[in-house]
Amino acid sequence: MSKDEPLPLGLREKVALITGGASGIGRAVAHKFGQAGASVALVDIDKAGGGEVIQEIRDNGGEARFFTCDVTRVDQCEKTVDETLNVFGGLHILVNAAGMILRATVLETDEADWDRIMDVFGGLHILVNAVGAILRATVLETDEADWDRMVDVNLKGTFLMCKYALPRIIEGGGGAIVNISSGWGLVGGRRAAAYCASKGGVVLLTKAMALDHAREDIRVNCVCPGDTDTPMLREEAMQMGQPVEEFLARAADRPLGRLGTPEEVAQVALFLASDSASFITGTTLVVDGGGLAGAG
Amino acid sequence: MQGLKNRHVLITGGAGGIGSATAARFLEEGARVVLMDEDQTACRLVEEALPSLEPSILADVSDADSVEKAFIKLDALFNGLDILINNAGISVRNPFLDITPEQWQTVISVNLSGMFYVAQQAARRMLAGDGGVILNMGSTNGVMGYHYYADYNASKAGVIELTRSMALELGPKIRVNAVCPGFIMTPMQEAEYTPEMRRIFEEKLPLRRLGRPEDVAALFAFLASDEASFITGEYIVIDGGEIAGGLASQA
Repeated sequence: MSKDEPLPLGLREKVALITGGASGIGRAVAHKFGQAGASVALVDIDKAGGGEVIQEIRDNGGEARFFTCDVTRVDQCEKTVDETLNVFGGLHILVNAAGMILRATVLETDEADWDRIMDVFGGLHILVNAVGAILRATVLETDEADWDRMVDVNLKGTFLMCKYALPRIIEGGGGAIVNISSGWGLVGGRRAAAYCASKGGVVLLTKAMALDHAREDIRVNCVCPGDTDTPMLREEAMQMGQPVEEFLARAADRPLGRLGTPEEVAQVALFLASDSASFITGTTLVVDGGGLAGAG
Repeated sequence: MQGLKNRHVLITGGAGGIGSATAARFLEEGARVVLMDEDQTACRLVEEALPSLEPSILADVSDADSVEKAFIKLDALFNGLDILINNAGISVRNPFLDITPEQWQTVISVNLSGMFYVAQQAARRMLAGDGGVILNMGSTNGVMGYHYYADYNASKAGVIELTRSMALELGPKIRVNAVCPGFIMTPMQEAEYTPEMRRIFEEKLPLRRLGRPEDVAALFAFLASDEASFITGEYIVIDGGEIAGGLASQA
């Protein structure tokens, strides 16, 4: 923002914990929050990526620390929140951006496929938001391990971080939680059954938490991005066996005629976390260029 | 917010509580703002409080001719329109069985037809220029049912669908969204509510406070700004958590 414009979206003296912060949307959120003046506790399982992001934030004059954490693991979530408190002395904002989408043209997502997907991205992990592996599968095609992995990262991970962050945010006098769901948390997607179920779960976890914790001055909201220009989208095209450009062109077919950027999702997360949104809670904010406005 | 400086902003119903707070917010952001309202006295009061406002334009939004003439005046003032805050609306409290055809017609013609007339004029100008943003005033009443406001509720549900349809047809040059506030304490409500009524409303809301016109103004500013550049065809609820649960979630 230029100097002659007001800075209504400031987060000065706030501590923000961002999961999935090493790449994709989480990374953009970390940068945006760092620019807005928040101290950023960056959480991911990708140490190298996370290290890069915090260095970039510091180079821009912000404050950031990286914490390695697998959000599907209860002990690690609890430890990460404690460490954040030790380092920054408080916690005000939680952004749950860790997540994955699993789609596959061929359903047999056995262990070998999984490994292949990991190899493609070199160190890509299920906790890395918006860059995750992709399995596109109907219920019949989804095996139990796939289901568990999807629900663990997208839904249980969000639950666990909230569970351990909430008491700390309450101690500090309240704050905000922003969960990153998806347009496919609101409408169905073909051959994405487990993903849709997990993201729909995030939407209603958001609303239920908003009701439970409003009286403790905690606002809980949810961003539902549509197709966003990340490596994940290209991986999806590959697995669908479609030429990338064709796939991306189809994904861009919406009122705004293009894909979203991670920054555009991050800007919305920043608004919802800021005091400018102090009367907004339990709300889902769709950021998809109009993709959900029409029936097609 | 990014991208609001020097923008041309039109606010219908601009003399009311939310309209005038929104005008103040856009002026703070460095925009040029004109109010459109049918209440000349109220416009004058807001102009006195906000001296950097452009001279207000009088119009009855429920009358297509009046709207057309008002936009000719707008053309003389602004070379092009960037942002429309389509805010004018009315509500009348009445049980469903007591709503007369006249009342029904009045509410629909201001809240829904009026919004359409203004939006169509604005969109033509935006498409002829560099595009723009249209923000329609919806309500939580357009999403959930509320006692004694059947006509108002139906009109606001109509606003949401009008918003989606406009977003489909007017993109990518124009982004169109609706804002759906819950209980907002405007000066009008402040005068109308007894302390007991206020307590009951506050108790209903998870956040335990009523919204302020400034809260809604901040959401309008955000949605009109470049920060919301990928948001269109959407309705955004700002209600202190009221409809995250609703009637089904009282227990």
